[in-house]
Parts: sequence; structure tokens; C-alpha cells
Amino acid sequence: MKYRVKFWVNEEPVELEVSANRTLLNVLRDELYLTGTKEGCGAGECGACTVIVDGKPVNACLVLAPELDGKHITTVEGLAKDGELSPLQQAFVKNAALQCGFCTPGFLMSGTALLQENPNPTREEIVRAISGNLCRCTGYVRIVESIEEVAAQYKGGAR
Amino acid sequence: MKEFAYIRPKTMAEAVAARRQHGSRAVVMNGGTDIVIQLRERLIAPDYVIDIKGVPGLREIAYDPKEGLIVGACVTMNELGEHPDVAANYPWLAEAALSVGSKQVRNRATAVGNIVNASPLCDVGTPLYAANATLIIAGLMGEREVAIEDFITFVRKTTLGPEEVVKAIKVPPLRDARGIFSKVSRRSEVDLSSVCATVLKVGREFRLAFGAVAPTPVRLKATEALLNGQKLTEALIAEAAILAKTEVSPIDDIRASREYRLDVVGVIVKRSLSAWL
Ligand code: FES
Ligand code: FES
Repeated sequence: MKYRVKFWVNEEPVELEVSANRTLLNVLRDELYLTGTKEGCGAGECGACTVIVDGKPVNACLVLAPELDGKHITTVEGLAKDGELSPLQQAFVKNAALQCGFCTPGFLMSGTALLQENPNPTREEIVRAISGNLCRCTGYVRIVESIEEVAAQYKGGAR
Repeated sequence: MKEFAYIRPKTMAEAVAARRQHGSRAVVMNGGTDIVIQLRERLIAPDYVIDIKGVPGLREIAYDPKEGLIVGACVTMNELGEHPDVAANYPWLAEAALSVGSKQVRNRATAVGNIVNASPLCDVGTPLYAANATLIIAGLMGEREVAIEDFITFVRKTTLGPEEVVKAIKVPPLRDARGIFSKVSRRSEVDLSSVCATVLKVGREFRLAFGAVAPTPVRLKATEALLNGQKLTEALIAEAAILAKTEVSPIDDIRASREYRLDVVGVIVKRSLSAWL
């Protein structure tokens, strides 16, 4: 059976017929071709599929497609505005906070959600907020520093 | 995932009716953090998934100093743990909720789901056991209320009827209460408990609830009886720690050995009680 769902992805309205046994992750990647969101484990362990749903970071692999009706979703493709990378994306680039890059979209979404909620997080709050994201390459230090750097910009009232 | 029909009831009566109509061919989904994995791994293969998140009123947290706390079925772990009334009056419950999984999981996983799953190591189990919480359950004949200890009967088994849906958790008000939640796991973030516990002191009464050391969360009644009304001393605490180990029956599994868990039970009893010496 198919279910008609209307929702928003990166502020664009979307209307689709979806099967109940598909996840938000499947819909993003296979139907909307937004392949920035990655599948690592498919079981809520790795955070590679993190997207922001109604302001909160969630694992896209654990949301069923028919649940999407009425939801507002932000994916990594929605972070850049007018061709300019978001401050956090720029910080990741500048600090080389990635190697293979597979985990990066997930970290960007967790980091963005944290900074929206709390523009001045402590280092410990940052570490907690990204503890549901696994990275096998970087050792996390540069990721944490990139989030800290953007938070410091907020602190100075610059943004 | 096998194909199934997705049902989103708009009222509790509709949810109960869907349970009645589809019986064991249906599962109730709440936050979905367990159900979706079970569907994906084909550990379950229902024909119907009943998502109760559209039922109004289930997202509510209400606190009243006389009535206590009501936690609706669809309240997430983050909503519970970050709620100011919960943090102020039941901080050990808030801590337990925030110890579950990752932030992404806690934005979806619910406290009621954690209890209905009835895993022996469910993190919000021990604070609710220690608080003498009850569950409010909707069924065909109206609502019933059952003590959490009578609700969870074994590993992943509860007394929830085939035509029932859990509506909320009710936590009684606790006067003059202090509590300590402990979670021992292999790593400090995003892990399942090897042992979890809540130790409460309510006036001169002591309540000790432990998880992951028996088929269900357990209250250590003999140890509580030893402590109740007594003034804490180092000797009494040492005695309690030894007695506590006789009231649990942990097993070996991938997270920890039986022996380790027994030791940890003693350590948690000692550390928690020593905070009030
Ligand atoms: S793919 Fe969703 S958490 Fe790993
Ligand atoms: S950069 Fe490779 S997993 Fe994180």
C-alpha cells in the first residue's frame, strides 16, 4: 500500500506516494536523490544518516516514510545558502575536520542542530551532542574544534 | 523490511480498536527506535504497524506537587530528561532518561516505549521501580492502572493485553526524597547498561532498584528492610552491600560477566548510600 505524504525538505515542499516499509533515509536518497545523507549502519548506531526534523536531530534510518507527513526536514544539502557554505561547513573545510568524509554530513547536522539550540556550548556539551556520530578517520579532535570555532564566532556577537 | 500497512489512529479509541481488529498481526509503534530495527532485521514481521504518535494528549508532561508526575506515552527521552519539573523533583529520572542512547535516538525514543519493551536493562526502569510508578493503560473497557512491578513480568514480557495501549506513566509525589541514578557501561556515551540502578531515600525509607541483574528490573526488598528506619553507618552500608548481592541473579552476556555484575551491585549500593552518611 502507498501513502501520500506532504512535507518540506530544505524549505522546498515535497509531495510523494511512499511505501510504509521505506525509511526517511530511503526516501531522501532513492526518491529525492539527496545522497548527502549517508547510510552507515541502518540501525541508529552511527549517526551518518542524521537529519534535522522539526528542529531536532534524528536518525533518518529509524523514521518510517509515512511518518513524514507535515514534517520539516533539513539535510546537509540545505546548509549552504546562495552558493555559500554555512559557517560550520567552512570551519570543517578550514580545519580539515574530515578524511574520507563519509561521516561528515551527519556531524554537520548534529553540530548545526546543537548550535541552533545552544549557540554557546561548552566543550563537554559539544562532545555529548556528537556522541551519536561515529568517525573512523579523524579522531574527532578537529570536528570538536570546528564546532567550537563557530560557537566562538557567535559569542563575539559577530553573527 | 517486509511490506505492512501503516495505521495512524487519531484517538485512543481508534488505537484500541485497531489493536482489537488486528490482534497479533499488528504492533504498536511509538518512537520507533526499537520497532524499526526489529522490522529491518525481520525479528518481527507484522501486517500492521499502529503509530500512536497522532493520538492527541500523549505528548504531555504534567506535574503537580499533590498528584505527582504524568508522562504521556509519546514523551521522548529528551523531553522527559530536559523538563524543568522532572529535573527539579525527580532528577534521577531525568538523568536516567538522558543516559539512553544518543541525542538522535533520545529525540525519538520514548519512556513508555522503553518500559513496554520490558528489556531487563531498560534505563528508565529502575527510577520508576524505585518511585513506585504505575502505568495507565487504555483498553476496550476504559482505563486501568497497574504498578510497574506487576506490569513487567519477564524478559520482554508484560501484562499488556492484546487490546490495550499504554497511555501514560504516573509517578507519585515523593516528599523529602533524595536519589542517585547509576549506570555502569562499557563506554560512557551511547551504550547499553551492564548494570543500572536507582537508590532512593524517602524520609527514613530506602528503596533500591537494579536493572540488568535479573530477568526484569528488581527492587531489593530484603536490603531495603535492613536499612529502613536505620541511621546509616559504614558497618550498616557494608552489610547492605553484601545482602544486596544475594537478591539479584545476573547472567553472563556480551556486556559483562555474572561475577562482574555481582561486584558492581555491591559497589553501587555502597557508593549510593555513602553519599548520605
Ligand atoms: S545509518 Fe542511521 S544511524 Fe547509522
Ligand atoms: S572522516 Fe572518515 S569516518 Fe569520519
